[in-house]
Amino acid sequence: MSVIAPKFRLGHFIKSITNDIFWIVVLITLIGIPVIFIVLFYIDLPVLDGELVTPFLAFTMLAHPELSIPLIDSFMNTDFFRIAIFPGFGFAALIAGSTIFVERKLLAKLQLRVGPFYCGKIEGILQLVGDGLKLLSKEIIIPAKADKPIFWAAPVLFVATAAAFVALIPVAPGWVVADVDVGLLAVFAVIGFFPIITVLSSWSANSKYPFIGGIRALHQMISFEIPLILSLLGVVILTGTLNLTEIVQSQTSYWWIIFLPIGAIVFFITMLAELERIPFDLPEAESEIVAGWLTEFSGMMYGLVQLGSYIKLYAFAALFVVLFLGGWNGFGVIPPTPPEIVDFGIQAGPISVDLPGIEKLTERTLNFSLINGVVWFVFKTVIVIFFILIPRGVFPRVRIDLLLHIGWYKLITLSFVNIFIALGLLYAGVLGPGGLL
Amino acid sequence: MVDAAFLALSVLTIGTAIAALEMRSLIYGSIALMGSLGGIAGFFLLLDSPFVAMFQIAVYVGSIAVLILFTVMLVKRELIFQKIEDPKRKFAGIGLMLVLMVGIGSIILDSGLKTIVTDEPAVDYREIGVDFVTYYWPALIAMALILAGAVTGALVLARREDVEDEQRAN
Repeated sequence: MSVIAPKFRLGHFIKSITNDIFWIVVLITLIGIPVIFIVLFYIDLPVLDGELVTPFLAFTMLAHPELSIPLIDSFMNTDFFRIAIFPGFGFAALIAGSTIFVERKLLAKLQLRVGPFYCGKIEGILQLVGDGLKLLSKEIIIPAKADKPIFWAAPVLFVATAAAFVALIPVAPGWVVADVDVGLLAVFAVIGFFPIITVLSSWSANSKYPFIGGIRALHQMISFEIPLILSLLGVVILTGTLNLTEIVQSQTSYWWIIFLPIGAIVFFITMLAELERIPFDLPEAESEIVAGWLTEFSGMMYGLVQLGSYIKLYAFAALFVVLFLGGWNGFGVIPPTPPEIVDFGIQAGPISVDLPGIEKLTERTLNFSLINGVVWFVFKTVIVIFFILIPRGVFPRVRIDLLLHIGWYKLITLSFVNIFIALGLLYAGVLGPGGLL
Repeated sequence: MVDAAFLALSVLTIGTAIAALEMRSLIYGSIALMGSLGGIAGFFLLLDSPFVAMFQIAVYVGSIAVLILFTVMLVKRELIFQKIEDPKRKFAGIGLMLVLMVGIGSIILDSGLKTIVTDEPAVDYREIGVDFVTYYWPALIAMALILAGAVTGALVLARREDVEDEQRAN
């Protein structure tokens, strides 16, 4: 590596730092604080201890971190937080982003390369930020004869559908965006939108390679949706419910993968096909048809499709965890909040910080079941994502006729075998309502 | 709230249905058809039956509409834009529609729909399932056999040995 700053002088360095600090202070004072205040006037503020929080009081609380605990508590219980941040989009996008980086590093290690290396000094940790900035600053090129409305809408719809999928996944007890009674059916309904978006975007590009890729994606997704749905019926038969939260609650003492391993394997293989990952990445086969149905996307449109496909990857891995690996269930790994912090605040030698409201926060929102559940859920999901990533470094791509043969003959047969195993366990009185276990 | 949702869904469903019939571009027509089918799913949601609504989306929007889209994309471009218009047929169509609407409307108004109590709890889909496998089992078996026969027949009809041998390398 070359030296980054050959003419380094300490005086210039200090001058640039003080200059930066000056401008940061000026901008925060002139723009940042008024913006925060205007926002505080427009949002609905909560009622704390029988007293409505005014914007002035909320501003005071924000300025004193130890006073803002009740505000954080009430913010974490809003719908906006659920949809945008924790079980919803932000959490999924965070896992999706780290999946992209981990995948690149992992594949590089598998193939004895170094992978992303220079961005961010330590093992290329800022590569993703760099890629994001690059995609944002690139020009969006639309083919001259493309069908523009559909072409523009397709990436946004793709991300929206992936986010709708994420909204159905329960992450911790009570922490799910949409707790619907027919959750699994809603998942099937959402999955059905992906082939439509793919084939429409590939048609609207009005180009050869996207269209071939889109037709391949359509064949693959439609034919693998059938074994996907059939392989999950075993779990539904044994639990007697379609609600994903209740399915997780039914696995407190044993996981369904113990009794339905065939269903789990079939679901995993169909998952790879639905996600268009190697060995089933025919729709984007980069050595045959440029980039498949993504060929004509450029700039942030490509970035959105990529984000959507990794969010979809997280959602499928999370669905596998919810259905077969017991969701958030697991033994306690997080110690409870020390009572002296709740009673007296933080005391470290001469420093003592009083934390009013932390008792309510740790009891109502950030309680043991949430933190423990999230730790177990993320741990299991990361393992499943790891198993989804590994085949990319190991397997070659299969031919389309072999792929369809696998889907229509073998996987459907295996998923029927799985259904009969579930029915046998149910009628033998081993599992299910009123069973032995 | 429900009234506003009902009105919006009605406008969506009927508007997209008209668009599906009237649009020149077949692709946009099939997208409009998807909107119409999705609107019907919305009606099922308003009627407290999310089970049927989800199946409506998964089967009709997710599969049937995709099949239509797929077929449309494989049709030749000249055939898509061929224009067949005849004022006589247009007016005949509108007249037929009016006759059908008036007939069906009078039947519905006569059927005692107004006396139905609407504030009863929604039927659980588990009860529907139990009814299907106990009281209505012959109908279920007959439907299953007909569908299996149709699928097998379609597969047999679609199978073409000559093309398959020609296309497969080695």
